[in-house]
Amino acid sequence: MLGFLKKKLSPKDSSKKVIVLGIDGVPYSLLVRFMNEGIMPNLSAMVKKGTLTDMTASIPEVSSTSWSTFMTGVNPGKHGIYGFMEVQKDSYKWRFPNSSDIKSGTLWDIAGRHDKKSIVLNLPSTYPAKKLNGILTAGFVALDLKKATYPESAYEYLKSIDYRMDVDTQKAKESLSALSADIDQAFEIRKNAMLHFLDNEEWDLFIGVITETDRLHHYLWCALEDKSHSEHKFFINFYKKIDALIGEFYKRAGQEIPFIIVSDHGSTAIKKEIYLNSWLREKGYLKFKKEPPGSFEEISEDSRVFVLDPSRFYIHLKEKYSRGCVDAGEYEGLRQKLKEELLSLEIDGEKVIKTVFMKEELYSGNYNSDAPDLVALSMHGYDLKGAVSKTEIAGRSQLTGGHTRDDAVFFINRDVGERDINIVDVGPTIISLLGIKGENFDGRSLL
Amino acid sequence: MTPEEKERIMGLSIEEKIDQSKKVIKEAIEKFGHEKIAIAWTGGKDSTTMAWLFKAACKELSVPMPKCMFIDEGYVFEEIWDVVNKLKKEWNLNVVIAKNTDVSDKAKNVGDMVKVSSLNERNRAEIVKLGFEDAEFPFEPESYVGNHLMKTVAMNMFMEKHGVQALATAIRWDEQTARVAEGYFSPRSNPPHTRVQPILHFKERDIWNTIQKYKIPFCSLYYQGYRSLGAKGSTVKMSDIPAWEQDLENTTERAGRGQGKEEIMGKLRDLGYM
Repeated sequence: MLGFLKKKLSPKDSSKKVIVLGIDGVPYSLLVRFMNEGIMPNLSAMVKKGTLTDMTASIPEVSSTSWSTFMTGVNPGKHGIYGFMEVQKDSYKWRFPNSSDIKSGTLWDIAGRHDKKSIVLNLPSTYPAKKLNGILTAGFVALDLKKATYPESAYEYLKSIDYRMDVDTQKAKESLSALSADIDQAFEIRKNAMLHFLDNEEWDLFIGVITETDRLHHYLWCALEDKSHSEHKFFINFYKKIDALIGEFYKRAGQEIPFIIVSDHGSTAIKKEIYLNSWLREKGYLKFKKEPPGSFEEISEDSRVFVLDPSRFYIHLKEKYSRGCVDAGEYEGLRQKLKEELLSLEIDGEKVIKTVFMKEELYSGNYNSDAPDLVALSMHGYDLKGAVSKTEIAGRSQLTGGHTRDDAVFFINRDVGERDINIVDVGPTIISLLGIKGENFDGRSLL
Repeated sequence: MTPEEKERIMGLSIEEKIDQSKKVIKEAIEKFGHEKIAIAWTGGKDSTTMAWLFKAACKELSVPMPKCMFIDEGYVFEEIWDVVNKLKKEWNLNVVIAKNTDVSDKAKNVGDMVKVSSLNERNRAEIVKLGFEDAEFPFEPESYVGNHLMKTVAMNMFMEKHGVQALATAIRWDEQTARVAEGYFSPRSNPPHTRVQPILHFKERDIWNTIQKYKIPFCSLYYQGYRSLGAKGSTVKMSDIPAWEQDLENTTERAGRGQGKEEIMGKLRDLGYM
């Protein structure tokens, strides 16, 4: 009855709003555990009136690719973002894709075309900020707050509160407690900025992303299980703060406004980091002109394969790269051989690689020129790396938490029957909740 | 070069470092001839010090000074032009301006969109090589396409036109970690030439000590607090005090540079990438 009345009052569906809270790197399984342990009471209460489920992320399972898939609702073959870095095909210099490299329309582009206002805060891969109908301040890898923010008035506000674009991860070199304090401080400022915009600005679509969770997991996953760890309490308390923020959002959304919580990948304990370029070198697939190499600029002409983070394999094709040596006729055979060898890779007697995907199994669209020829997915705990200058195949670093493709999280304060959810489905769901029809996506609306 | 050897050279005195650089320069001149070498000169402190070292080495060998290549990427600080013009006269330098005018002619202001179809065949082919597929790109020297066309392509065209076999550049080991593996002579393809890198062993502090000791002229922007100079509009001051009075050892020289590749790499490394 009420819905009917509302519809009549607003014939253009202008009352249709959506709130999205992004929680970078948060696993579904951890939220379930913390709810069972009574650490997240707000979420527990909300779950009774909605749907909380696990979700698969993009491949590769890194923030730039996964959030780009979220914000466009299409696969990387259409949005063009395969990772945080690419290698230039003639000079082998690094190239770092930014917001200008995203080839597909974003949710706020689509909303803007329908006269809807969006507020987008701290979403990775949106730097530098582009003009939109609304407000945006970019997330990782944002370098300059002014360039990260649109419009000027939002920048002035953020500057006035000493807004932080990211945690200062360099603090980890000082001590883990210094890092914890910094994570806390960055989160507090971000929370205040989010609630400010939520309460004081007009919006139809609100997207706010917390990235402190991902930094916490990378550096302090070791503190989660170990009750004697100096930062164990901090880890638990930080999730209580996340729960409090979820509660603040829910106060504003209630059951009226659709409220979505989403993460871009899961997280798990790192047993070993696996340096795939070292493995390729040991197998004779990859050679450098200098030892140890500083970058791909020193790659040799007889290199047949190389890897970019985290597990993107590129065949060094003659027709594609200035120093490439692999003929098109060898391409398929080489890929098959690599796949077999990867699947039999063992460290300490354990299998490392779970699945190897061929390019065409994952990506379709017009922006395949940066697409990896193969992508490997690891067994949980083996963190795949594309480091160039490592000499060993397996090792450890200061980071104790790595990503998972499965076990990302999706919540909505609605009933959703569908349980086989991928991050590509979230954008189309949002657009459908905004009352917009007729857009083309790879994902599908869950409602 | 072994790490021990590199460490030994890095620890030399200013005078010994100057001698070491001159030795590299003389070796390059003997190998390639002064007419086949070009000095990549940006008007910044490092390449100006390198040009000064070339001048001294050429005098000792009694050969003419090689030509200097100055890349005009379309957005050069006025203060850079000042020092370039001043030294051109005072040191009697043969300065050749390398500029990709086919691109810069299509844009009135920085930020203007340039249509790919309006460019000549060479520039269009370069854009295809980059894998860039849009119809237009912004004329911004530090953007991906703009940077490539206005710097790399401008430089390559200069080298092809002048038959340059060796290009002297003023990179330094301590400037960024990406450069620690570099040697004095580094062969490059596309176009095939040798990079001569005679001041690799100078630290930022050594450069300033040399400039002050030998009264080498330098760009006035360093007085204002700039530490490292890139394109105007994307380079910011690190501080209001002159560059050489800043805490050179504990802060990052290139942090004020707009493109921020090093900064991005640093952030990615902190999260386990690269």
